Amino acid sequence: MRWPARGRIWARRLLVLVTAAMIATGLWHLGHAGYIQAKALLAQVLIKQAWADTRDGAGRARPWPWADTWPVARLKAPAQRADLYVLAGADDRTLAFGPGHVHGTPLPGEAGNSVMGAHRDTHFAFLQWLENGDEIEVETPARDTLRYRVSHTAVVDKDDLGVLAQPPVGRQITLVTCYPFNALRAGGRLRYVVIAEAVDATLASAHGLSVTPGGHEFSPETGLRPLVAARADAVQ
Amino acid sequence: MHTAAARSEKERHLAFELLGLISRALAAALAVSLTLAALVLLLAGLAQASDTLDAPDARPIRAALMLKSGAYAHAAPLLDTDVSIQVSGPLARTRVVQTFRNPGDNWLEGVYVFPLPEHAAVDRLRMRIGERVIEGEIHEREAARAAYDKARGEGKQTSLVEQQRPNMFTTRVANIAPHAEIRIEIEYQQTLAWEQADASGRYSLRFPMVVGPRYIPGAPVHTPAEPGSGWAPDTDRVADASRITPPVAHSDAGPVNPLKLRVELDAGAPIASVHSHHHAIQTDTPSPATRTITLADGATFADRDFELSWTLVASTAPTAVLFADAGRERTHALLMLMPPAMAPDTARLPREVVFVVDTSGSMLGTSIEQARAALALALQRLPAEDRFNVIEFNSASRMMFDTARPASPANIAEAVAWVRALEAEGGTEMAPALALALDGSGDPARVRQVIFLTDGAVGNEDELFGLIQRQLGDTRLFTIGIGSAPNSHFMRKAAQTGRGTFTYIGNLDDVQTRMTELFAKLEAPVLKGVTVRWSDNPDADMSPRHIPDLYLGEPVLVSAALARASGDVEISGSSGAVQWATRISLADANHGHGVGVLWARSKIAALLDTLHDGANEDEIGAAVVALALEHHLVSKYTSLVAVDKTPVRPAQDELKSAAVPTNLPAGWDADAVFGELPRGATDTRWNLLVGLLALLLGGLLWLQQRRHPAIRAQGC
Repeated sequence: MRWPARGRIWARRLLVLVTAAMIATGLWHLGHAGYIQAKALLAQVLIKQAWADTRDGAGRARPWPWADTWPVARLKAPAQRADLYVLAGADDRTLAFGPGHVHGTPLPGEAGNSVMGAHRDTHFAFLQWLENGDEIEVETPARDTLRYRVSHTAVVDKDDLGVLAQPPVGRQITLVTCYPFNALRAGGRLRYVVIAEAVDATLASAHGLSVTPGGHEFSPETGLRPLVAARADAVQ
Repeated sequence: MHTAAARSEKERHLAFELLGLISRALAAALAVSLTLAALVLLLAGLAQASDTLDAPDARPIRAALMLKSGAYAHAAPLLDTDVSIQVSGPLARTRVVQTFRNPGDNWLEGVYVFPLPEHAAVDRLRMRIGERVIEGEIHEREAARAAYDKARGEGKQTSLVEQQRPNMFTTRVANIAPHAEIRIEIEYQQTLAWEQADASGRYSLRFPMVVGPRYIPGAPVHTPAEPGSGWAPDTDRVADASRITPPVAHSDAGPVNPLKLRVELDAGAPIASVHSHHHAIQTDTPSPATRTITLADGATFADRDFELSWTLVASTAPTAVLFADAGRERTHALLMLMPPAMAPDTARLPREVVFVVDTSGSMLGTSIEQARAALALALQRLPAEDRFNVIEFNSASRMMFDTARPASPANIAEAVAWVRALEAEGGTEMAPALALALDGSGDPARVRQVIFLTDGAVGNEDELFGLIQRQLGDTRLFTIGIGSAPNSHFMRKAAQTGRGTFTYIGNLDDVQTRMTELFAKLEAPVLKGVTVRWSDNPDADMSPRHIPDLYLGEPVLVSAALARASGDVEISGSSGAVQWATRISLADANHGHGVGVLWARSKIAALLDTLHDGANEDEIGAAVVALALEHHLVSKYTSLVAVDKTPVRPAQDELKSAAVPTNLPAGWDADAVFGELPRGATDTRWNLLVGLLALLLGGLLWLQQRRHPAIRAQGC
């Protein structure tokens, strides 16, 4: 009878171990999920002060001393109660803390197509509920508040850089996030794109621009022209 | 009833306990995560702190264009290239035949941006339409363009070859009939790279096949001129960006631009070995001094440089060659001479070596691996008395140490680890990195050397040469061209301006040999003050005017225009304490066809270099135009144009224009160069699901064990 008794003890120990491992794994995963969300929330709180400094003329106010990014705009979607600080650069490191402005496109509020990206399950989760005609506000460091209206949404491939194309005239913002919204894991090829065009024609004309009503229609083919040149036309 | 009630109570109890467990776990997880988040916010990024220089305020241009499969297929002509290279001794003449085929039903104009060796003297253009051959003429750039545009508008078949950079040209072909083809033949002359290695002469030939996407710094500007067909707009720092950025074919569509290549090699002396560095070749041996080389696969796709090197049998290798070509007014001569080996310098000065490594997106893939390996090797070879530092740059520059540190084993180990961790991403803001390396600091008691590893994929070369010229001081700059399609113009000119040398590493196998050769050059004394005198021609027009300092194994290379084809040439110099001199009679010179063209090409380069010193551009331009027209040479200010006589396109038919897409250079990563849309997702959902499932399972197991220890025991 010695053998079975010993077997029982080992089986129990193994069960305890498996249980402990399960609970540890569970805690780690939940902790990690919480950590991602908490970082996304906490960082925005810290950036708030940096944004205030930026609007007081501080230039590149870094939200924490060793940050390699700084706020460039504040983005609001009143209907969705979204209120976010946009950071410079749209690399993975930056996107953990907030929406990122894609380098090489005009800054939010400037003439042309300003592109911003963020995660579909943190800051840009609200994109899935935006509809054509919804209003988006952009606050610039110069204390202007510019209004945009959603004109188009699309699902594109991650290599489809037509999204970064510049319209010949006018001012628009493009918000990019991953698609589908309810996908379990990160790393898919598809992107959800929301295009919003400037509403405030008076402000645009103050910058020497004429805004065509109806504006620029997004199409993947636009990417086949060197469109940044078109932007230079618009600015001159 | 009773048992049922007990059971339901038991179930309720179990449910409560489970809920409690989960909520406790969740609370714990939340607490842990908040603490972690706070901690990471406080600590994250500390590593990227210190020496980062901000990129300039002007926004760089993104390469905002990738051709999707098929997007251009209906519009652009298909291109096929056939290259034949005739080598005789240290000279080569190459014919490049580009066949533009129109696959569609429209009349087409094709625009193809392609590379040639950076010192190629392009002096001939022929357009073949069926059996007819139209010879190209040399004109000033604007006049040639106007002639081309006029013929294009009139429906005549016409072609134009323009120079965008010394190593980058554009062919335009207009009015290619539907389903027809036009062949463009371009010829150029060059001298081959010649080095003393392993007690013998080694020659090498490099034929570039593709212009890699260049990084374009600066802000877009509006130019009155018609922009080129490239993906980048012209900017305030690269005024012709739209002309040097040919569209890149999406890799999904498969490689484009097939290319055949043949080398007729006549080395002039018995050949010991021939080696192709990046392509499999087939070699025929008609005689000991000649070889016929073709690509083993018949054809390749234009996506990397072809590099061929051969060594001569040691005892028969010449140490000096003089070529002469008698013209109507002047005789042109080309002299190549290997100076005698110098005695090693006993009192070697300690050095301060600054390594600068390009970690931009274009380096991602095989290039960064080659750069890391080369750097690690270089670091480990530093003697302990030297000092060193490492700078990496992409959109910003980062210096490893605040100031140069001694090459102690600990410092070297730290640097090697730092280098091995380098990743390639972002832009190529080269100017701040060069400025950081050439900051005028350094100990006067040390020899200061900057070793610059890059693929040179930038559009603002002239700006950088100007910066090197201004800030060089006593430092010497050595370039190492990395990857499958380095910008050879940048490598050579940066090294020449920096008074150093250039070398290439095209794959990991090259790292050891090439770096060892470079170390030998860095450590050996430099041969200074070499003079060349032509006895009967005191007014010889030499290019270069003064022989630069020569590193170990480098030959004297000079061309001259002489009034009299007589007398001799005397080359002298001093190696340490020993004076040496060599005399060659012009009567013994070999006849060298095309030597005049090489002289003119070298002279044009020298004239254009004076622009960095602030020479008047109008005067220099006029001098270049005169030389180029006389020698039928394509240059910055002159182009070759060929125009057929009779119009072929009916006036009512439209002409469509399209740029020929190019391959991404081998080993490059498209996403790293062109970017992709932001990656907008985290694994939150996954973590939540897996976490909850694991907790649930764990909790159930735990309950099971707490509740029924006895049952389990009995059950067994």
